[in-house]
Amino acid sequence: MKRPVYITQMGMLERRGNTLFFENENGKKAIPVNSTSEVHCFKPVTLTSGAIKLLSEKNVPVHFYNKYGYYRGSYMPAEGQVSGSVIIRQAEHYLDGEKRLHIAKQLVEGIKASMLALLKSYRADASSIECIPVDGESPAELMGVESTLWKEFYGIFGSLLKNFEFRERSRRPPKDEVNAMISYGNSVLYAVALSEVRKTYLHPAISFLHEPLERRYSLALDLSDIFKPLTVFRVILRLVNRGKIGEEHFGRDVGVMLNREGLKVFLPELNGELERKVLHPKLKRNVSIRYLIRLEGYSLVKHLLGDRTYTSLRAWW
Amino acid sequence: MYVIVVYDVDVKRVAKVHRFLRTHLHWRQNSVFEGELTRAQLYEIKKTLEDLIEEEDSVLIYELPGSNFTLHVLGTDRNPVGEII
Repeated sequence: MKRPVYITQMGMLERRGNTLFFENENGKKAIPVNSTSEVHCFKPVTLTSGAIKLLSEKNVPVHFYNKYGYYRGSYMPAEGQVSGSVIIRQAEHYLDGEKRLHIAKQLVEGIKASMLALLKSYRADASSIECIPVDGESPAELMGVESTLWKEFYGIFGSLLKNFEFRERSRRPPKDEVNAMISYGNSVLYAVALSEVRKTYLHPAISFLHEPLERRYSLALDLSDIFKPLTVFRVILRLVNRGKIGEEHFGRDVGVMLNREGLKVFLPELNGELERKVLHPKLKRNVSIRYLIRLEGYSLVKHLLGDRTYTSLRAWW
Repeated sequence: MYVIVVYDVDVKRVAKVHRFLRTHLHWRQNSVFEGELTRAQLYEIKKTLEDLIEEEDSVLIYELPGSNFTLHVLGTDRNPVGEII
């Protein structure tokens, strides 16, 4: 199984002896490129052309984040799954208001189901989320429903946290520790979703719930939203309530950010959650949550081609 | 699956084996590599190593059921395995 690599210090990635080496003044470390699914860089990292060539050959994307954990961009190997007919269908489903509405509704239903799954596993009272109907005449209205869902969810989520305070979501930059972790987590999840979407025939820029914006792969945003409560928020609850993460894991300037020690606690936990396997009732085998993201993509493709109507994930675990 | 590869090969081929293994596994210490592999990767490693080594060399591959084993380190851990750099 391929694993991601997270780089939390400044340095350079270069090719040496058919594999990747990360090098800086503290020393150098070999990265087994054949066993790497993707590289996440949280500090400025330079890539040599040799490294880029090797990364392309092995189809390993590199994602870059800024110091607050916001996604900055990726180096994506040119290779990818290309299918004209799927992209045409995808665009058609975007342009046709009714078709788009169906998918958008499913996506919001998926987000709601994931929120409920997380809150139920913590025995929280989720009735205020349960009673919000997922309905709307346009994707914009559904976005409104989504933001109401999130607002309710943040409220209950904040009350479950034992050590840190969390009142409201703040971004660019995050104002408190919990917001900092949410930002990092969401960005990593977005990059992972992007890596998974690239393995399907879907075009990552044509989305259904979010508006396809420029320079953003909004389909990855659509899909990662479903998985946020199940991965990012679950991990934050666990780390905070078990006292695994504390004040010493954060740095502070205009906003709050995870420091190197914090990343060393947070990232493995998030990755562990993404690699966690659950029994899939239809496939009748254990699949990782990361793979479930790709399965969402596959069922979207089936829907677009008219094989089977898309129903988004209803988290069952 | 999680594997540990240890090898004892002639000095002429040591570098070759080392260079090949580090494209798939984490270097742990001299002549020891470890890491998570797929079945296909293990097959590829076996095939390539068979081509690289000669009759008198020896390579041992331990296949572990999972990565939950206890490691006892005496002295220094030269190169701890981790996904975070």
